[in-house]
Amino acid sequence: MPKIDWMPSFTPKTTEALAGYLFILPTFIGFAIFILYPLVESLRISFLEFSILGDSRYIELDNYAKLLTDTRLHRTYSNTIIFTMFAVFLNAGIGLLLAVFLNRRMPALMRNFYRSVFFFPILIAHTYIAVIWRYLYQQDTGIINYYLGTVGIDPAPWLSHPQWAMAAIIIMDVWKNTGFAMLVFLAGLQSIPQTYYEAAQLDGANERQLFFRITIPLLSPTIFFILVIFMIGALQVFDSIIVLTDGGPGDATRSVVMYIYQQAFQRLDFGYAAAVSWTLFLVIMAVTLVQFLVSRRWVHYE
Amino acid sequence: MFTPQTKLPSAATKAAQRRSRKPFKWQDLLSYALLTIAAILVLLPLLWMFSTSLRPLGDSFKLPPQWLPTQWRFENYLRPFESNVPFELFFWNSLKIAALTTLGQLISCSMAGYAFARLRFPGRDFLFIVLLASLMVPGQVTIIPIYLLMADLQLVNTHASLILPGLISVFGVFLMRQFFKQMPQELFDAARVDGAGHIRSFAQIALPLVGPGLATLGIIAFNATWNGYFAALIFLTSWEQMTLPQGIALLTGYMSSGNPSIVMAAVTMAILPVLAVFIFAQRWIIEALTRSGLKG
Repeated sequence: MPKIDWMPSFTPKTTEALAGYLFILPTFIGFAIFILYPLVESLRISFLEFSILGDSRYIELDNYAKLLTDTRLHRTYSNTIIFTMFAVFLNAGIGLLLAVFLNRRMPALMRNFYRSVFFFPILIAHTYIAVIWRYLYQQDTGIINYYLGTVGIDPAPWLSHPQWAMAAIIIMDVWKNTGFAMLVFLAGLQSIPQTYYEAAQLDGANERQLFFRITIPLLSPTIFFILVIFMIGALQVFDSIIVLTDGGPGDATRSVVMYIYQQAFQRLDFGYAAAVSWTLFLVIMAVTLVQFLVSRRWVHYE
Repeated sequence: MFTPQTKLPSAATKAAQRRSRKPFKWQDLLSYALLTIAAILVLLPLLWMFSTSLRPLGDSFKLPPQWLPTQWRFENYLRPFESNVPFELFFWNSLKIAALTTLGQLISCSMAGYAFARLRFPGRDFLFIVLLASLMVPGQVTIIPIYLLMADLQLVNTHASLILPGLISVFGVFLMRQFFKQMPQELFDAARVDGAGHIRSFAQIALPLVGPGLATLGIIAFNATWNGYFAALIFLTSWEQMTLPQGIALLTGYMSSGNPSIVMAAVTMAILPVLAVFIFAQRWIIEALTRSGLKG
């Protein structure tokens, strides 16, 4: 086999380093152009009164000052926080419940069947799911109100009333995403050594004690991980809402990202949109840092 | 090579398992009942989608819904192609964008993942941490400068505006690094002794063994691009360029005025590739998602 002796004058160590840089080069070119540069540039833009025609000018902190007085922004933030709280706790709670049930004694075939069913919606685009649910939620023709009607519940104005529309978005989100929490919780549950339970049972612990004294503490890193992952995802909610309610009625379900999208790409106010996007970035960074710090201190990793 | 060690249960543990097999309890019944109800709730919207897609157009809105259509109208699946929007083009555009993006990520991520896992060079760990930290940056922060950049390059309303930023993936580098790290060092030492350079070690030894990793990344990348909406909504403005999610949103029409049967036929077709992949590669996807904590 012919030996490829490229760059014979370098030591093996240098060759290895060169190969390393060569291999990471494509990724870092993309990283520089599409992550690092835009990140710095968006901070710069956030200090501009931006004009498409090219005569943008620096206006110091005006965009950031506007954040404080913009009531529409405050509305979209409170919408996003309400959505995030409900979506995170319902997804994690129901996901945990399903995982605990799935972790009981059960034929593997059954477990795989349930797991596949709960998991499948994760793979479908938010857009398609919202298109389907829009029909389901229709007040007069949707099947949700029809079946509620058969048990004597009045038709609900799912998409046309502020609180109902928010509920509609949250229900749809739980339908789509709880399977992911279930999946991660199930993996966490299965990694808890069975011997812990056996030892506790020998000491006379009942099922409730087993759950609260063994399962929950040992699952705490997973629970925390899921809460953070879902929080970061929910804070960026966009696709599902824009198709389901388009932020309506009024601004009742408009999320922060939808507001950024509107300010930037419909009103062409890129400076202000960039400033809003930085507030969201800071919130997400704070959540991530808390996760990082907490997961180092707390937690029963083996 | 990468299969986990399986322990054969000893006679003693088997006996213990037999002893621990308790009689049927009411809690078992309860958990089956709740799981079944949850499964039905998950399946109903999808069943509604499928059965609506086969109904005669006049019955689409009929209540109670016909879960089993009286007549099966498979020709509904042709209607999106005959509608006033270029549905086949949406399909093709999405396929093209997803395929090229996936290919790019497979190349760039496997190269960088290999370097971070198996090569030593100054600054390696620092650069890796910089990459990982950038996972915190939400796409909404970078999209405005990327849009302006694409506008400068006259690439707005072209597929390049979606494909170029998608050619790399920080998550993908992380994933591939994990896979390369699992390989035994002796493999590479042996290649060294045989005189293989770094490029040969990568291309002829590491890559052929990392099939499951490439498959996992490929599936995740393809699915994410196939389902992507935010960037497409921003960059693609003319019908000829639009992707499938945009097209289906168009087909649905203002206030869902589009006929449900036609729209559901279109959605079913859009979900079909995902379903196929899911059936064939479920184990890989579940494993990768569980390990990495990435949401779809």
